[in-house]
Amino acid sequence: MSLAETFAPALASSNGASRRGRLVLEHISKDFPGSTVPALRDVSLTCEPGEFVVVVGPSGCGKSTLLNLVAGMLTPEEGRLTLDGQAVRGPHPERTMVFQDHGLFPWLTAAQNIAFGLKMAGVPRAKRDQRVEAALEMVHLRRSADKLVHELSGGMRQRVAIARALVMDPAVLLMDEPFAALDAQNRTLLHEQLQELWVATQKTVLFVTHSVNEAVRLGDRVVVLHAHPGRIRREFRVGLPHPRNFDSPEIAQLVRLVRREIEDEVNRVNAQTDEELWKPKTPADLDRHSVGMGGGI
Amino acid sequence: MLNIPLALGEPLHKGWPLVLEDTVGVLIPSARPANAPSRHVFTSPLIIANLVSGVRLIVGFVISIVLGGALGLAMWRWIELDRLLGPVFLGLQTLPSVCWVPLGILTFGINERGVLFVLVMGSFFAIAIALRDGLRGIPPLYQRAGLMLGARGWRLYRYVLIPASLPAFASSLRQGFSFAWRSLLGAELILAVEHKGLGFLLATGRDFSDVAKVVAVMIVMVMIGMLADRWIFAKLQAAVHRRFGLE
Repeated sequence: MSLAETFAPALASSNGASRRGRLVLEHISKDFPGSTVPALRDVSLTCEPGEFVVVVGPSGCGKSTLLNLVAGMLTPEEGRLTLDGQAVRGPHPERTMVFQDHGLFPWLTAAQNIAFGLKMAGVPRAKRDQRVEAALEMVHLRRSADKLVHELSGGMRQRVAIARALVMDPAVLLMDEPFAALDAQNRTLLHEQLQELWVATQKTVLFVTHSVNEAVRLGDRVVVLHAHPGRIRREFRVGLPHPRNFDSPEIAQLVRLVRREIEDEVNRVNAQTDEELWKPKTPADLDRHSVGMGGGI
Repeated sequence: MLNIPLALGEPLHKGWPLVLEDTVGVLIPSARPANAPSRHVFTSPLIIANLVSGVRLIVGFVISIVLGGALGLAMWRWIELDRLLGPVFLGLQTLPSVCWVPLGILTFGINERGVLFVLVMGSFFAIAIALRDGLRGIPPLYQRAGLMLGARGWRLYRYVLIPASLPAFASSLRQGFSFAWRSLLGAELILAVEHKGLGFLLATGRDFSDVAKVVAVMIVMVMIGMLADRWIFAKLQAAVHRRFGLE
């Protein structure tokens, strides 16, 4: 079974003719009066089928709120939210999510966790086993099928969580800082694997992170969010083909660009919240102190 | 009445070593002195009392688990119900279980149902409260993950919430058991019903000023309580914790 056959049977059978996964957010607003949960104001965003969109921003900008709205865990107060023309209402396996803390069920094995959604959907046992086995192979965890969640490493847990979400053949895959808790080596490894899976399945992905590096590595489009209230500040298009070389100078350059955008945003927020700014000395400051000495020479 | 202190003093007057010897005699009939009347092990009142108490315990505890489990689940699900019943249950937990005996007699009479009533009342509050607290401790993430994967309505309970509450349920069982065992023995001590349980045996020991019997029955009570806790409930709890990776 190929990756596409496992995770996107519709795609494999129709050769990509019927592309699904068009996610449209129109003027979405959400408020949480009297709560620390970040609000969103007038957010509009369209994810085309098969597009990898990364939302990046400082903590408290409402990235997770945005994702939870799409997941159907929250309902917007204003605006329209549609997936392939259908209004989003409540959680549904057509919009599966990979959580930061994996959210795997500790009483089930890796394979049983992946099979869970199929079981709920009433997929017959034999077919379920077949799809689970293929899914395990795709995330390179075949030998860990019968391990319990606490017996898996952090990276393996996230791979199971990705397989659990993809095995449902969702129209859109939501990812909420899925690699934030991993070490740098594992993160890079998972970035590579995710790219491989995404290229093969051509899923629409909405990915949320605070890591600019991660955003530029993975995304077709990087959306920077404003905070207080959350608004879209700017969009960057990453026109690099997949799979990417993460160490390429183009990526490094784009990271610098996006990071500058976010630093401005962080400084603005900190200034707003009356926090004292800590600014490292820039070379220009250092120069000024040495002016007298330089002049003497 | 006047002879009770005297009668109580009598075996102690014999000295504790003798009492100890008699105690061993009650516990292990074959260890009795040769001149003592011999009795077959299986017809020994102690064995019968154990069986009677054991059956009552199992029946009553199962009723407690069902009632306490359902109520704990309901109190977790409907916060209004919890606001109403939660403080009442906490208050009732401070009531020693033998205090349910008079109500049990007046409601059911001096019979098996009266004993079971005391046992259930003495233990199911603890199970309900422990289960409610355990359910509250389930990470909301599990519920979200379940909903996302299509577990709705009763399926969310059957496949997500109930399995997720297993560690809490295991500890609530362990706690509920000790409550049940204590309540049962208290009820048997006071209620003299047709079948004689361990508590009744303790009462006869008192009535016949048989310190050896009293001590022996107490030892048996403690042993059964401890063994059930160690061999059944602690093992169950450990198994669940192993599965969940809780240490």
